[in-house]
Amino acid sequence: MGRALHRGWFGALRVAAFASLAALAAATHALGIPAAYAPIVVEPNTTAERSEFDLTAPLARAQRENKRLYVYLGANDCPYCRRYEAFLDKNAAELVPHFRPYLVVDLRSSLSTQATRLFIRVGAKSLPYAEFQRSINDERARMLVYPSVWLLDPQLKPLMQMPAGTGTFQTVPEQLEILQLVQ
Amino acid sequence: MKTPLRAIDARARRRVVLALGALSAGTLAPAARAAIGGLPSNTGHADSSPEWENLRGKLFGSRPIDASSKLVQLTVPLRAAYGASVPVKIVSGLAQTAALHVKKMHVLVDKNPSPVAAVFDLGTEVGQADFETRLRVDEYSHVRVVSELSNGELHMDSRYVKTSGGCSAPPNRDALNLLGKTVLKVPEPIRFDTPTLADVTVLHPNDTGFELNNITVMFIPPHFVRSIKVSFAGRKVFEADLDFSVSENPTLRFNFVPHGAGELRAEVEDSKDGQFVGTLRVG
Repeated sequence: MGRALHRGWFGALRVAAFASLAALAAATHALGIPAAYAPIVVEPNTTAERSEFDLTAPLARAQRENKRLYVYLGANDCPYCRRYEAFLDKNAAELVPHFRPYLVVDLRSSLSTQATRLFIRVGAKSLPYAEFQRSINDERARMLVYPSVWLLDPQLKPLMQMPAGTGTFQTVPEQLEILQLVQ
Repeated sequence: MKTPLRAIDARARRRVVLALGALSAGTLAPAARAAIGGLPSNTGHADSSPEWENLRGKLFGSRPIDASSKLVQLTVPLRAAYGASVPVKIVSGLAQTAALHVKKMHVLVDKNPSPVAAVFDLGTEVGQADFETRLRVDEYSHVRVVSELSNGELHMDSRYVKTSGGCSAPPNRDALNLLGKTVLKVPEPIRFDTPTLADVTVLHPNDTGFELNNITVMFIPPHFVRSIKVSFAGRKVFEADLDFSVSENPTLRFNFVPHGAGELRAEVEDSKDGQFVGTLRVG
């Protein structure tokens, strides 16, 4: 995981489980949100100082189609990301119909891209991660966690406060809770 | 800590962690997250848990606990932004009068390694026994508050909370030189003789003893705020016995009743016998 650590305060347990997760994920699923969800894949514009994801086009499409955005930020070297993607893959037949109100956007990052280097662009404005989070009143400004999901309306307003990580919605009933905005 | 439930020393806790870590590695991925393979059955906000049944006996014996009176109400999000900082709000449906008031309040997280997060000892000077704070919730668990009234009745409310993590940067430890700094704030205008909001924040990492230093790969030793005693004009407002289940930089939002100008004072003690004081002139 490079310099990154799992943040849970029972961290040792999770670190110990890490190798197992990585091996499992690598064996079962390719990178990114599965094709069945018709994701809009956004690769970063990367320089030495920053890695910028441009949400302008997905947002414009969401406005045209009057859809919500399901924005997923994953990292190519993050076992928790592989785990969530594998969950989506395994349950695609059941879940895809429930994703229909959403445009799924797949931002493809890496664990070495931490909060100060990750920028989100919408139109002419490009903000670093923490500032972007504050601009939309998302409480997850303090720390960047991979993977992350945002549920946004076509005006970029969060539909509800999401948790860091995806571990709390990796069963079908819980993924449906999220899609149905159960709080 | 005063209660044996919270007196798990660092070595014992480390042994538990290592044992669980070995178990996870040995049994591969299915043990890594609780939710895979199906959810627990007791996910209703008012449900019990084996941990609660055990705690209940130890803390309250066979005394009846009313979980339907709404005399105390707990607000906690189903999923918080971060499991290490879950916002918790407690509202009491009872003014603090000499005739009847909340005398003690237990805040519990069933499945945390140290489930008793806070015990508040209250009098009438708090005016209204409402509190807000942030807790660490290690895994899917109920959070509970049990209020003990001055007539001996026990009232409870509970919420089921889902937390998990991901991959992230290490904890922020940039301000350790400020450790123990205690700040009091009164966010709204003072109202004499009525409950008035105040905040106390202690800058402190509140280390659990479970976290790895990602550079030394050693456990960071436990070091957390054990108590916060708040008084106004020399009269006790409340005393809180705390644990590492409270998030780093412990913050409590509370009420007090100013009868005139005076000093709001917070005395803080941590698990390494550090003592800190914060004051605020009010009125």
